[in-house]
Amino acid sequence: MPLDTSTYSLALLRLDGRRWNELRRIHAQISTQAAADGSSYLEMGNTKILCSVTGPHEGRSGGVRGGSGGVAKLEVEINSAAFSGTDRRRNARGDKRTSEMEHCLREAFGGVIVAHLYPHSTITINLNIISQDGSLLAASINAATLALIDAGIPMTDYLVACTAASSASTSAADNASADDPLLDLNTLEEQELPFLTVGCLGESDKVAVCVMETRVRMERLEGMLAVGIEGCKRMRGILDEVVKGYGKRFG
Amino acid sequence: MPREAEISINEREFIKQALQEQIRLDGRAFDVFRSLELTFGEEYGVADVQLGKTRVIARISVDVVTPAPERKFDGIFQIVTEFSPMASPAFEIGRPTDAEVILSRILEKAIRRSNALDTESLCIIAGQKCFALRADVHIIDHDGGLIDASCIAVIAALQHFRRPDVQVEGEKAIILSVREREPIPLSILHQPLCVTFSYFEEGEIYLVDANVAEEQVRQGQVIITMNKHGEICQIAKYGGATVNPLALLNCTNIALEKVKQMSKFIQQKLDEDNKKRNPKGLMNELSAENARENAVIPG
Amino acid sequence: MASALTVVLPGDVVAQDALPTGTGKKKTLTLGPGLRHIPPNTVTTTVAGTLVTDNRKNAALVEYNSGRYTPFAGDLVIATVNGSAAENFNCLLTPETPPAALPHLAFEGATKKTRPQLPPNSLVYCRVASAGKDQPPELTCVDPSTGKGEGLGPLKGGMLFKISLGMARRLLAPKSELALLDVVGAKVGFEITVGRNGLVHVDGGNVRTTLAVGRGIQEVDQKALGESGQRKLAADVLKSL
Repeated sequence: MPLDTSTYSLALLRLDGRRWNELRRIHAQISTQAAADGSSYLEMGNTKILCSVTGPHEGRSGGVRGGSGGVAKLEVEINSAAFSGTDRRRNARGDKRTSEMEHCLREAFGGVIVAHLYPHSTITINLNIISQDGSLLAASINAATLALIDAGIPMTDYLVACTAASSASTSAADNASADDPLLDLNTLEEQELPFLTVGCLGESDKVAVCVMETRVRMERLEGMLAVGIEGCKRMRGILDEVVKGYGKRFG
Repeated sequence: MPREAEISINEREFIKQALQEQIRLDGRAFDVFRSLELTFGEEYGVADVQLGKTRVIARISVDVVTPAPERKFDGIFQIVTEFSPMASPAFEIGRPTDAEVILSRILEKAIRRSNALDTESLCIIAGQKCFALRADVHIIDHDGGLIDASCIAVIAALQHFRRPDVQVEGEKAIILSVREREPIPLSILHQPLCVTFSYFEEGEIYLVDANVAEEQVRQGQVIITMNKHGEICQIAKYGGATVNPLALLNCTNIALEKVKQMSKFIQQKLDEDNKKRNPKGLMNELSAENARENAVIPG
Repeated sequence: MASALTVVLPGDVVAQDALPTGTGKKKTLTLGPGLRHIPPNTVTTTVAGTLVTDNRKNAALVEYNSGRYTPFAGDLVIATVNGSAAENFNCLLTPETPPAALPHLAFEGATKKTRPQLPPNSLVYCRVASAGKDQPPELTCVDPSTGKGEGLGPLKGGMLFKISLGMARRLLAPKSELALLDVVGAKVGFEITVGRNGLVHVDGGNVRTTLAVGRGIQEVDQKALGESGQRKLAADVLKSL
């Protein structure tokens, strides 16, 4: 398979030349679309996502209008372009993986957005995945955060996410002490290694999102979590810069 | 559209107040599961799990099909979940709710993706014939803890199931009926089980195996899937209240303990069922030749 | 109440001597829910339950434990507020039925300016004012003749417990005697509010008492405990406090 773990242990360089604790190149823009109330474009390496936020608005006519119980309702829609992955896929909408991601974003931002300010309204987050190369959930969360900030929707803090892995494949699980954590994975690494996505609230260590889909020894979780949280802090620094850069324009 | 009945303010406040006083509505400690019942059906591969008032039935069935062209050496295994309207008026057929999507995704990740079942052993003739295994999960009664109960049901049913034996002669495969040849158990590599933690009070209090009322009041949940060997198969925390990373690690320790207890329970029930099926046991059968049933041992 | 319980099943023909004799003032026999008259003089049952006859009123009916509550004028119910419309609160009597209307002005001392503010999902103890077959039921929290609340109104604190409809009717019966409540009530103070829609609201002042009483009632209901069983349970409940 693609990632040869033996070369990694020799040179301590990953396939794309990064060291274990390096993020990929991150490029982010906000206010990319004029039509949306808030929008962002985020690149994490080759993962590219376009996000737009509409609302708070009245909600679509028919059916349930806006949120009940005096809080705004959050809607999340994820579209992934047919050309985004390695093989061309038609109509990823409605598949359970996408629904799960939508659910995750809805839950995660539901805890951050100050929703009781907008009773009977809906906030819609629209994500378009243009290209995927690992850390998809993390990139979606980051893009949505940026777009929400751009839309001026009040949040208690902002949510950033990144991925972390533990190298030394599961078969060599016996020597758990010898594991090497990796930060910010691309597709090839995701296929090869057990990894998790961590989402943290702002500067704090508090974990809001934690999703792991691969089997791993429980002893190795701690290292992955620590690296992930560290990565989130750096990610926050980068996103901070982006937002501040745009702020200066108006200042 | 019918939806889940929302819990009243009085109940919500009461549950929170009680939790602060370290009391749960049903008098359990915070880290205790409800009473677990597991029964097997007449046929192989039917498991009926009752966790408190929650009830889930899993059934395994098998079919012979052509394997997927990109996976010639693998059999097919799929898990299908169904929320029956008999469990709660909020469930409707043909319109999957969020809960249903999450349940099927978690089961998929916990059992299928973690390779609990050795799908290669389901292959009959590479690229031509393989067994397609299907696990149907039916939610019969809903009082919280659906994910935990469903996972127990599927794992127990898989361990209970016996597939028919096959005889391969060159390009031909003959499926031998149960009467011709004793059916064989599936090769299961490990037994992942889920433990759901519900968070209250900004992550200060967590409960194991919440019931419906507690699920409605909680601020967030963490679903941890582990096996008894101490491997984490899956963690899912989709937003909700934030938790301390150390508390999260602590949860894995508790989950391991619970999973060990549950695995033992399932194994015990399987042994009981096995004894019922062959009352005399396999050893007796093997020693049939020199059976001395009528022999009287003097003294 | 009938001294010996006569259990009937749907379709049973009720024997002539099981019906009231009509010695009272009223000459015509009144048939209550669960009974059907087939002319000329056969009476059959339509539900399973116990046959109850009243000689004084010359009436017969079948008491049964139904699944879903159907509102009936005069019933006391615990409603959950679902939302507030222009002039009504939309209230739910059971979770999956269409909402019942509780007018904003149907509270004690409520006027256009001082009407109660009830947030969604709060509980109200009220009476069913009208329940037609073709319209949603209407609720009220005042006695229309006196304008007084008489104990009806929003419920504060406490906890809600689900019980069967039969149990709710038993608790609401004029001469309801539940040994459990008598024994426990002699020792600790608590308040219970019973809704005909299968809900009981218990407020014991603290979590332990409330829970113990509520769960005690549920247990009596689920296990159909008799007098002695209830006394035993009551002793257990008191011990746990």
